[in-house]
Amino acid sequence: MSKVNRDTDRIEAKRQATSLEEPASEAGALTRKLGLDPYEVKYWIVDYDEMNQLIAYGGFQERYPHWRWGMAYDRQQKQNQFLGGKAFEIVNNDDPAHAFLQESNDVADQKAVITHVEAHADFFANNEWFGMFGDRPEAAAMLARHAERIEEYMADPEISRANVERWIDHVLCLEDNVDQHTAFGESSVGEEGESVDAEAIADRLGDLDLSQDVVREVFDEEWLDAQNEEGEAVSIPSEPEEDLLGFLWRHGMAYDEEAEKATDYESWQRDVLELLRREAYYFAPQKMTKVMNEGWAAYWESMMMGEENFAGANEFLHYADHQARVLASPGLNPYKLGKELWEYIENSTNRREVIERLLRVEGISWRNIKEVVDFEAVGEILEPAPEINSITPETLDELDPEDPRIDSEALGRAKAGETDIEAYPWKVLTYEGLAERHYSLAKPQNRGFLARTTLEETERISRYLFDDARYSDVETALADVEYTAGWERMTEIRASHNDVTFLDEFLTEEFIEANDYFTYEYTRATGDYRVTSDDYEDVKKKLMLQFTNFGKPTIAVYDGNYNNRNELLLGHQYNGVALNLQTARETLKRVFSLWGRPVNLMTIVKEVNEHDVEVAKRRSREPEPEERGKLLRYDGEETTIEDLAWEEVEDLAATDVDYDTKPDEWLA
Amino acid sequence: MGLREDLERYKAVGERQRQDLAEFIQYGDLGQSLPGEVKVPIKIVSLPEFEYDQRDRGGVGKGGDGTPDVGDPVGQPQPQPGDDGEEGDPGEEGADHEYYQMDPEEFAAELDEELGLDLEPKGKQVIEETEGDFTDVTRTGPTSTLNFEGLFKKGLKRKLAMDFDREFVREALKVADMGPAGVFEWARGEGIPVSRAWLEDAYEELSTDERTTWESFEAMESEVERTSTADRIRREGIDHVPFRREDERYRYPEIIEEKEKNVVVVNIRDVSGSMREKKRELVERTFTPLDWYLTGKYDHAEFVYIAHDAEAWEVEREDFFGIRSGGGTKISSAYELAKAVLEEQYPWSDWNRYVFAAGDSENSSNDTDERVIPLMEQIPANLHAYVETQPSGNAINATHAEEVERHFGNRENVAVAYVSDPEDVVEAIYTVLSTEDSAEEEVPA
Repeated sequence: MSKVNRDTDRIEAKRQATSLEEPASEAGALTRKLGLDPYEVKYWIVDYDEMNQLIAYGGFQERYPHWRWGMAYDRQQKQNQFLGGKAFEIVNNDDPAHAFLQESNDVADQKAVITHVEAHADFFANNEWFGMFGDRPEAAAMLARHAERIEEYMADPEISRANVERWIDHVLCLEDNVDQHTAFGESSVGEEGESVDAEAIADRLGDLDLSQDVVREVFDEEWLDAQNEEGEAVSIPSEPEEDLLGFLWRHGMAYDEEAEKATDYESWQRDVLELLRREAYYFAPQKMTKVMNEGWAAYWESMMMGEENFAGANEFLHYADHQARVLASPGLNPYKLGKELWEYIENSTNRREVIERLLRVEGISWRNIKEVVDFEAVGEILEPAPEINSITPETLDELDPEDPRIDSEALGRAKAGETDIEAYPWKVLTYEGLAERHYSLAKPQNRGFLARTTLEETERISRYLFDDARYSDVETALADVEYTAGWERMTEIRASHNDVTFLDEFLTEEFIEANDYFTYEYTRATGDYRVTSDDYEDVKKKLMLQFTNFGKPTIAVYDGNYNNRNELLLGHQYNGVALNLQTARETLKRVFSLWGRPVNLMTIVKEVNEHDVEVAKRRSREPEPEERGKLLRYDGEETTIEDLAWEEVEDLAATDVDYDTKPDEWLA
Repeated sequence: MGLREDLERYKAVGERQRQDLAEFIQYGDLGQSLPGEVKVPIKIVSLPEFEYDQRDRGGVGKGGDGTPDVGDPVGQPQPQPGDDGEEGDPGEEGADHEYYQMDPEEFAAELDEELGLDLEPKGKQVIEETEGDFTDVTRTGPTSTLNFEGLFKKGLKRKLAMDFDREFVREALKVADMGPAGVFEWARGEGIPVSRAWLEDAYEELSTDERTTWESFEAMESEVERTSTADRIRREGIDHVPFRREDERYRYPEIIEEKEKNVVVVNIRDVSGSMREKKRELVERTFTPLDWYLTGKYDHAEFVYIAHDAEAWEVEREDFFGIRSGGGTKISSAYELAKAVLEEQYPWSDWNRYVFAAGDSENSSNDTDERVIPLMEQIPANLHAYVETQPSGNAINATHAEEVERHFGNRENVAVAYVSDPEDVVEAIYTVLSTEDSAEEEVPA
C-alpha cells in the first residue's frame, strides 16, 4: 500500500499522508483477513477543490472536455454534498484502485473512508458484473486517452469544437441505452459481428499504443482492406437490440443540414461514439450495483471501524456520528438499504446453519423445534469463546497456536512484541477466528433473530436436509456450527448478484415491514401523490422497477430498415409504466442526428378522459386508464404521433408484472 | 485546468438553453421560484433521455414514524434511485432539475424584450434623503474618510514646486561679486524657488576662494549642467513629501433626494366551488409572472392577496393559490376589502396601485353592474384588470368579464383578459401590461 502525495510542497498533505500510512496498510491487511480480496488501493490526499473536481469527473483526474463536468462541479460546490461537504469517499474502479482523501477531514473520518474504500475495491475486483467490462479495467488510462482524443478533435480546425460538443450531447442522451447485461465488446464485433470495420481496427490499433512503425509494418492498408472485404452487414436486428449505441455505430448515419440528406459518419464521429459507448459500459456496473456496493462498503466499514476498533477510543464517537449521518440521509438511501440487506443475509444464513444443526439432533423436528429448543440458551452457547472475544497482551499465552482460529505465525510475532496487540488484536486470528469473534447471531442487536424463525422457515430447511439425526444433544450440534457460514454466503452473493437480483432475492417481507416502506403513486382523483400500499409484494415490485435497467424504460431497436426506407424503428418494452412522452420526443430528435434518416418509436400510452376523472373523483376511486399503441416519429422537421393498432404493440406489452399498486377501492 | 473550461461551457450552455420565457410561463414549474428569485428551468442542461412518466411510475417511500395509511398524501415524491444526479455518485451525472436563476429585474427586462413591452414605473411623491456615494469633500472629518490620495498628490505638487537644483544654485553663489542678495534676485528671474535664508546659509559654507570661481552667471551656466526636478526625482527618488494640514480633504457622502417607486399589487381570486383545479392553475400562471414583473420594475413592491367566495378575506401568499371553498360568488366583496386595505395602508399619493382580479366570470346577479363597477371607479389605480379563466369556454351565467369590458370600453386603466388554456397566458399578460403601458400619461404621478 503506498501513499502518494500529489504536491510535495504541501506540508499539511504530507503530514497527513504520513499519519495515514499505518491505518491504510492495516486496513488493507484486516480486509484480507476478513476474507475480502480487494484491488490494491492507492491513496491520495487532496484539498477541497481537488476533491470537488474529482467528484465532478466521476472519480478520475482526466476526462474529456464537456460542460456536464462543469455542471457537476457547480452543483457539488453549491450543495456541499451531504455530510456538509465532509468525509466524502471517492474511489474509482481500477486496478490498482485510486482513492482520494480530503485533506481537511478528521483522522476518524479518514479511517472510515479508508475502510469503506477497501471494501469497494473488493467489490470492484470480485463482482462479476464488473468483470463484464474486462478483467482489468485500466480505467484511468482509458479515460485519459479518450480525453486526449476528444481534445484533439475539438482543436482540429476542420471539425469545430461546437460540432464535437453537439455530437457528444447526442450520444450522451443514449448513454443508458446499452446492453449492460452482456459483456462489453467493441461495436465492430457487435451483434452482426461478421462485418469488421477497417476504421474500428484502426481505432483499436490506436488504443494499443503501438508505434507508428509497427502499425505500418504489420497492419498496413492492404491488411485493413482485406479485413473489410467480408460480407455486407445485415441491417435488421434479428432480435430486438438493446445496445442502441452499438447499433448506431454499425448502421447510423449523420445528417447533413445543408445538403439535407444522410451522410456517412465522419471518422471522428464514429470514434467519439464508440469511446462514449465504451465509457457507458465501463460505468454501467457501478450503476447496476449501487445498493449492493454501498451496502457492502458500509457493512465492512462498520465492522472494521466499530467492532475492530479501527477508530481509536477518542475517535469512536466522532465516527458513530459520521455513520449515523450517512445512514440517515433521507429518501431511499442505498447505504442503509444495502447495509441492512447484507446484515439480513448474514443473519439468515447463520440462522439457517444453526437450525440445520439443531434439526439433526435426536428428537428435534421442524414441528417441535420451537417448543423443545431454548433459543436463549442456544444464543449463549453460540457466543464467541472468551479467548477469541477479548485479546490483550496478557491473554496471548492462553492462545493455542494449533487452534485453526489462531494465526500461529502472527501469534509468534505478537509474543515477540513485534505487534501492537492493543491496537490490532485481530492480527493473531485467522479468518475462522474473526468469524467467530464477529458472529452475527451473538450480537446484542440480533438477539431474538433465532427465536423469530417461523415454522415455514424450519419446514423449508428440513425439506432439504438429508442425514438428520446425527447429534445426541443440542450442545454437540452447536459445537459443529460453522461460524463462517454468513460471511461465506455474503462473498458468494457479492460475486454474482447485481441490485436487481439482490433485491429480488433478499428483500423480505420481514425487512419491508420492519422498515416501514410503502409505495406511492400519482392519483388523478386527488391530483397528488398518495400512499398506495404497504404490502410487501407491492413495495418490492416498485423497488425493482427502479433498479431494473437503471430505473429507465427499456428501449430496443426493432428494425433498421423500417418502411423499407432505411428508417429506424425503436420499441419501448412496456411494463405497465408509461414513457415520458415529452422527453421521448426530445430524445428521438437526438436519435435522428445519429441515424440521419427518420426515426420512429413504438410505445403504449395510458389515456384517461376528463369525464372519467370527474366521475372517479365523485366516487372516490381511480379512473381506469385505457392502454393504446402509439408511434412517435421524427423526420428531421417535425414530430408526429399516430395511433397504432393493438396488434402492432402487443409484443411490447408485459404480461407478467403489474407495477400498478393502487388499491381497487380508492380513498373509500 | 480542464474543469474551469467545463464550468464556463456549462454556464454558456445554461444561458443559451434556458427555457424560453413564454414557454416557461405557460407550462413551466412556477413553484420552484421565490418571490425575489425567479427560477427558470434550463432546458437542455438535463439532456433528454428515455425515461418513465414520473406520475405513472410512482415510487417507494420510507415512513418516518410507522407506515402511513393507504390514501395519505405524500407530498413531493422522494428522490428515487432511478433519478439521476441525486446522489452525486461517480458515473451518475445529468440532472432533471436545473434552474437558471434570475432576479425579478432580469425577469422584467426579459419579458419586456419578449413581449415588446416597456413599462416605465412612475415615481410617487415619496421623497427620501439617502446618503449617496462619498463624493463630496470637506476640510474636516474622521480620519477614516481622509482622502489620502488627494493629500499625497497635493504634497507632491508642493514638493515639485519647492524643489530646485541645489548644486546648480550653489554654483551660482560662486559667481564673483554676487552675494546671496544678488543670487536671490537672479534666481527669481530664473524661476528657481529658493529662499533667501537658504542662500545665506549656503554662502556662509563657501570658502573665500570658492566665492570667485566664476566670472559671471553666463560663464557658470555654460559650464554647469542643470538638472530638472523631474529628472532628479527619477534618479534619486522622493525622500520626503511635505504633507500640509491645508491640503487635507475628507470625503463626505452626497445627499440624494430620491423618489422611490413604490407599488402595491392587489391579487384577488375567486375561490368558490366553481373554481376547479384547471381554473385555479390558470390564475396562478397569470398572476405569478405579473407579480414578478412588477417586483422587477419597481423599487419596492408589496402584495395584498384577497380570496373571496360570497365573502372576502385577506390571505398569505402561500395559501392564496391553494384555497378552495364552497359557497357562492360575490366579487364586490373582494373590491370592498381591497378598497379598505388600500385606503388604510397604501394611499394613492404614495403608491402605485395595481388591482388584479381573476375568476371564472360567475357572479351574483347584478353584483357586477351595481357594485363592482362603481367600486372599480372609486379605487384609483394605475391599472385594474380582470382575468377570466374558463378552461372549457363560457358558462352561461359567467358574464362578469364581458360586463366590465362593456362598461369600461377602451378606458386606459382597465384591462380584461380571457384565459382558457395555458397557451393564452402570455397573451393575457401582454394585454394586461400593455394596457397600463398606454395609460402612462393619464395616471397622476
